[in-house]
Amino acid sequence: MNLTGTKQGCDYEGECGACTVLLDGKAIRSCLTPIANVEGREVLTIEGVSDGEILHPLQQAFIETGAVQCGFCTPGMILSALALLEQTPNPNSQQISQALEGNLCRCTGYVRIAQAVEQAAAQLRGEVSSPANQSTANLQPLGGNGLRSDSMEKVTGKAKYAEDYRFPHALQIKVGRSPYFHARIIKLDTEKAQKIPGVVKIITSADIPGENGFEIYSVAEPVLTKLGDNVRMLAAPIFLVVAGSAEIAEEALQAVDCEFQPLPHTFNMDEALSEHFPPIIGDSNILSSFEVKHGNLEGAFSNSEVVLETHYETAFLEHAALEREALVGYIDEEGRITVVGGNHQPHNQQRYIANALGMPIEKVRVITPYTGGSFGGKQDPWPFIAVALAVYHTHQPVRLIYSRQESFDASPKRHPYSVHYQMGASKNGKLSGVKVRINANTGGYDSGGYYIPNYALTAAGGAYRWQAVDGLARSVYTNGPKSGQFRGFGTSQSTFALECALDELSQKLEVDPLEFRLQNCLQDGQISFLGYPLAETLGYQNVLEEMKPYYKQFIRQTEEVNQQNSQSPLRQGVGLAGMWYRFGKGGSLRVEAHSELALDGHIVIYASAPDYGQGTQTAISQIAAETLGIKRDLVEFINADTAKVPNSDIQGASRALYFVGGAVHQTITTLKKAIFSVASELIDAPVETLTLEDAWVRMIEEPNRKVSLAAVAEEFERIGKSRRVREWFDLTDRVPLNQQVEYAPFFVTGAQLAEVQVDLETGFTQVLRMVAVHDVGKAANPTDAAGQIEGAMVMGLGAALMEEFIPGVTSGFSSYQIPTFGAMPEIKVILVEVPSRYGPFGVKGLGEAAMLPSTPAIINGICRTIGKRIYSIPATPEKVLKAILQG
Amino acid sequence: MDAITLIQPQSIGDVLQAFKEYPEMGHILAGGTDLLPDLRKKKKEAPILIDIHHIPELQQINITGNFLEIGAAVTFAQIEEHPFVLEQIPMLTEAARSVGALPLQNSATWVGNLVQAMPAADGAIAALALEAELYIVSLQGSTWQKVETLFRAAGVSIIDPSQQLITKVRVPIPVVQWGTGWQRLGRRNALTLPILNCAVKLELERGTISKARIALGPVAPTPMRALQAENHLVGKQLDEKILQEAALLAQAESHPRSNVLRASAEYRKTVVPVLVKRALKTAWERAQ
Repeated sequence: MNLTGTKQGCDYEGECGACTVLLDGKAIRSCLTPIANVEGREVLTIEGVSDGEILHPLQQAFIETGAVQCGFCTPGMILSALALLEQTPNPNSQQISQALEGNLCRCTGYVRIAQAVEQAAAQLRGEVSSPANQSTANLQPLGGNGLRSDSMEKVTGKAKYAEDYRFPHALQIKVGRSPYFHARIIKLDTEKAQKIPGVVKIITSADIPGENGFEIYSVAEPVLTKLGDNVRMLAAPIFLVVAGSAEIAEEALQAVDCEFQPLPHTFNMDEALSEHFPPIIGDSNILSSFEVKHGNLEGAFSNSEVVLETHYETAFLEHAALEREALVGYIDEEGRITVVGGNHQPHNQQRYIANALGMPIEKVRVITPYTGGSFGGKQDPWPFIAVALAVYHTHQPVRLIYSRQESFDASPKRHPYSVHYQMGASKNGKLSGVKVRINANTGGYDSGGYYIPNYALTAAGGAYRWQAVDGLARSVYTNGPKSGQFRGFGTSQSTFALECALDELSQKLEVDPLEFRLQNCLQDGQISFLGYPLAETLGYQNVLEEMKPYYKQFIRQTEEVNQQNSQSPLRQGVGLAGMWYRFGKGGSLRVEAHSELALDGHIVIYASAPDYGQGTQTAISQIAAETLGIKRDLVEFINADTAKVPNSDIQGASRALYFVGGAVHQTITTLKKAIFSVASELIDAPVETLTLEDAWVRMIEEPNRKVSLAAVAEEFERIGKSRRVREWFDLTDRVPLNQQVEYAPFFVTGAQLAEVQVDLETGFTQVLRMVAVHDVGKAANPTDAAGQIEGAMVMGLGAALMEEFIPGVTSGFSSYQIPTFGAMPEIKVILVEVPSRYGPFGVKGLGEAAMLPSTPAIINGICRTIGKRIYSIPATPEKVLKAILQG
Repeated sequence: MDAITLIQPQSIGDVLQAFKEYPEMGHILAGGTDLLPDLRKKKKEAPILIDIHHIPELQQINITGNFLEIGAAVTFAQIEEHPFVLEQIPMLTEAARSVGALPLQNSATWVGNLVQAMPAADGAIAALALEAELYIVSLQGSTWQKVETLFRAAGVSIIDPSQQLITKVRVPIPVVQWGTGWQRLGRRNALTLPILNCAVKLELERGTISKARIALGPVAPTPMRALQAENHLVGKQLDEKILQEAALLAQAESHPRSNVLRASAEYRKTVVPVLVKRALKTAWERAQ
């Protein structure tokens, strides 16, 4: 039937809920329902929920409340909600939770989904009038309600994700992977497998025409490990099978004769660093290191009343985006090897592919489709190169869709850290010196781990004033899964350790943890932990001041509750944590974007800011509309297709809105000037008297003196003026200020509060309420900004309480537990808008930063509730009870 | 998944006919939430699935005499929605709500959950405490059997789904004062297997406990009854001291294993008395 709304997120195990449909009005897992079973019964998929073009109130409410981010869970979520409302028109929050807790969402934190269900329920009961079915395009530019431009397609199931690109007779790719954590390949014979009918090509390292690697993205990581070399993690890729069907490919996988000589392996960094453990690759198991050192540490410590020594550890974490790695490849109409798949930067993927294929970059194209979440996971170039290799060798359309288990086995993880602190403070609570040693577990391969020490250390100091700093961070090889990009790359682990250590220190000093942070917080213009001042504005003090009343209120209320229920094993407590986050990455400070006046008079933006759910497609359009002074329906954004848009550089470290938005602002400003100059001639009015309104340029004083944008475009054509404008957002002369630094010092800050309830007899923790205060600069889209923060907080909650990838054990959503609907606390988000100096309209980066304080706030909450410290995450019931029971 | 033929008998007689026609090839299909993944992963093989959804008498919940009878095709969601169950046996409602999440409860059946014989199956723990009995039908005849005889080993029941059908499960409704309790602990609130679960039934006569049933999982290879704790409660009233003693007896009887994904044996052992106490307390209060 070619319907695309029913999604698959797990391996037909009923673990995710993306495939939810209604069978006779009841929400079921379609993956667990034999097709013959539905004979003669009514099946409702998302495609049948709206009445033609008229959306169902639930769909409308999902759009209006901002409950749609990547959209991959949305159809199933709406169907589960629909089944609830048909049966229970006025559900309470517990009933909503029960109806939706079988549907996983990784983006939203469920907050807006709950709001959407309540709003739709009220509407269906006739308590509020249903607004007209509004188009999502005809909307305000910056600020305002911020409805997303792509939600309509997502709530109706029409949005095409990579796996929805269907080609008749597409070949299937399956990957031959290492069954060992560490082993030498001593035999690799593909002959028998190659002869299986239906097998088109088996690709080994010998079939890679260019570099068997990833340029600088990952040092010493082969695309496919060759015979005689070592595989350094479980599921390391060795060969590809390209076949007519998945079944044949699977059969061929088994038929390839691959033998291994197992080698000793370790996941433990101390063991990998010990003398008796041989280097996993190269001369040493230290991949890279970074140091920050200034001030007189010894002096600072000797003048301190308290010097705290403490140690924290974190786990391997998995992105667990609801969409698995899914890509298609083909040769496009211009003969280019084309790969369609969710990514963070199509031009980089294009370059890595060209490099591996030994081809000119122009012969390769990367297209970014609707993407069902990434959180950094889809930045890995490996699947792109694999698909490109298959197209290169077969010249046919191909598909590569990881199983969920494969996604868990082979995709990069968050680096586990081991963080050792010594930090001092005077009796009145003034921080003195800090010594910190961090080891980051990069697993068997680099995959970006090379850059980790810099991020680790930067976050380890926070937005605090230190008199002396001695920091060293190292990236360490083990045989764990390769660690790589993950929301808040390298920083969430250090922030967890720092903010917990600061909490410990405040307890030792017997000072209020909020006042303690305020007293030591860095002010705009002061020398930072890194030894130099920052390039962007810093609103940390504003953030902490804003948090004060909530903090006091939470403390008071939990004390009251604990007093009232002094006999109950359920105790409550409040935890606080702050953060600073360096946005912008080591990406270029000169970013390109284009804009164009189309012949029909609408404006087209050409740039690269992939939207995997975080809302860049909308926010960048808003920047353009704001710059033009028009509504968004006149703006089209062609995004992240290497054949159509310029290279706006890497998207990561929450830089898109600031940098790409900046470039769009520049190009639109230039285009607007050009439009006004031509219009001024056409209606014979000076440029400064003109204004843009809808699709017309008018004279402000004489609104009837006007010319349509289409007519202006026609005039561009007639006089031979280019309708397309190329511009750059360029900060190279502003940064690096007076210091030569590798990463531009742009920081955002925030703080969060968590009210937790711990069962003192079982150790089970429930987070009841959270408050998030974040300096986001100007909020381009306040709805989306809050949605990003809520999603990040629940992801941080998962890391705090339940998430942990165990190599060789964790295999999917049943063994890697992410928060379900019922884990969601009541969340309040407060945006502090301290405008940036250079960003368009004062915006800053946000998407990742918001998860940094969530984990330590929750852990500090637990610690203050139980009166004991938890030194590692996740704080499972077992770990918490152990802490409670220890003497 | 290999090609599978689905047959849809309209009566129990048709099922028996299918057992006869396809010896060792068929497999009863109820909710399918466990069976389908097992077939896909080739943990099980069944060329013929015998779908029991079209047999009217298997879809019923009946209260007959002193028994609540639940058909083999009845889903957990249907149990949750049943007012008699909620009023009389709230522990069963709570256990049903603990299975996965609602979309799974909309398909999965209590009987299927029992046949899976997992040591911490919520339905099995509840059934054990409720002294459930199963009506087993095969070509050799039919018989009522106590639920505790069902479990052979972890994940193995005595039922051969190629030639035996459990048509219904029944729960005796005591004529005396009684109450039930349910406790469950997991890493998160839903879609998760339990670290521990516990079901309790208490029957009271003249204010003292005349019968106690305490079921626990996963603390043994199969769903387990804490027999010593049960015995200790008989003839007593539930005060703090008795509660504590019974909980510690249940703890001593439990032999949980460590599971790297869920919890260590040590933790489980520590928490057993907590859950037992809470479930007993609830059951006692509900019995008043």
